[in-house]
Amino acid sequence: MYKSISFTALCFILFTSSLFAQEKLEKESRVKSKNVPSNAVSFIDTLNLNICVTWYRETDINSVKYEAKFIYKRKKYSVEFDSLGNIEDIEIKILHTDLDSNLALSINTQLSKNCTKHKIIKVQKQLSGMASDLSYSLKTGKLNDGMIIKYEIVAKCKQNKKVNLFEYLFNSKGLIEKTSKIIFKKSSHLEY
Amino acid sequence: MNTKVIYCFFVSLVFANAIWGQKYSQTGILPSINFNMKLKNDWSLNAKIESRVIFYQKKGLDVNTDYNYELSDFLLMGAKKVGLNSRLSTGYLMRFEEINFVQRFLQQVVIIQKLSGLRLAHRLLCDQTFSETATPEFRFRYRITGELPLNGTSVDPGEFYLKINNEYINSLQAGTYDLEIRAIPLLGYDILNQYKIETGLDYRISTFLNQNTQQVYWFTLSVFIEI
Repeated sequence: MYKSISFTALCFILFTSSLFAQEKLEKESRVKSKNVPSNAVSFIDTLNLNICVTWYRETDINSVKYEAKFIYKRKKYSVEFDSLGNIEDIEIKILHTDLDSNLALSINTQLSKNCTKHKIIKVQKQLSGMASDLSYSLKTGKLNDGMIIKYEIVAKCKQNKKVNLFEYLFNSKGLIEKTSKIIFKKSSHLEY
Repeated sequence: MNTKVIYCFFVSLVFANAIWGQKYSQTGILPSINFNMKLKNDWSLNAKIESRVIFYQKKGLDVNTDYNYELSDFLLMGAKKVGLNSRLSTGYLMRFEEINFVQRFLQQVVIIQKLSGLRLAHRLLCDQTFSETATPEFRFRYRITGELPLNGTSVDPGEFYLKINNEYINSLQAGTYDLEIRAIPLLGYDILNQYKIETGLDYRISTFLNQNTQQVYWFTLSVFIEI
């Protein structure tokens, strides 16, 4: 008796579970270049970098953004555009050891104030400014005056005996401008 | 691109299912539902219900194609997050078979790795199984699971993903050692971030160390719900 009840219950739950409440989340999807605003595509094309570009569309409750990811001269680049295809910033993945020693010291001091223990996982140099300056920087690897340089750092941070992952935005002086806690994707389907 | 991947996935299932010809093989359906509830202070509860229905059995030249309900499992696990990406769990499983009742105690540790465009989960699991009709069985298992998003760099709501499990199960029962290997390619869909549905083939091979290979093919349908 119990076997037929349990099997029926299981089938019932399987087919009705998709009717539950909804939740909105930030979403990053790969898109073809034809579905990206034309001025974003032409910005990358006119650089003539001879690279393979992967395009992504990022959506959350408030905004839509486009991101071009590519590897150029052995460095990982991520160029972010707004919904109309206007460039917002360039992010270049760098090593922690590539940071200027004074800047690295300042960043470590800031992190030590925030965390009883910390470990830097990822560092990205973020460049923003005029589109022409960003274009020049991408092509030459040099920086023009007036460009804003910031550093996006992902670090493991222990606070109150709890370890979490945070994304910090540091200015060029090594002071924290923004802190966001990274929420992990649910993983029960990988664990059980 | 995604359509091709999904098509290739199902074609590979059909081919994988067609290559048997062993001493003993069995094919069936394995539906399951899994609830995960987050509690305070990094604790969580996981409950799983799973059933098995066999529709093909081959032993030597004998073939049985009748539908046979085999069993239902009810599993409850308590878990505690012990690191940024790791979790310790312990649990109890009740298995209701045709004329038998089986109990199993489980202890596991899982470590999740986030790589570029891929998530890997390593699971080490010990279990101890007791029933009235068989001697106790003790198993030590290792499973690696890869989750590969088919759109973007991570799995988001409304997106498909591939999940591939590979598990090695060392078993000791009545002084006899056996190794079971499982390979489970699955196609998953994230419905609303809190609900995931997965389907695919669960392939298991065992007793090949004793020259008496048993192969089992399950067509799986699993639902994961975060409460």
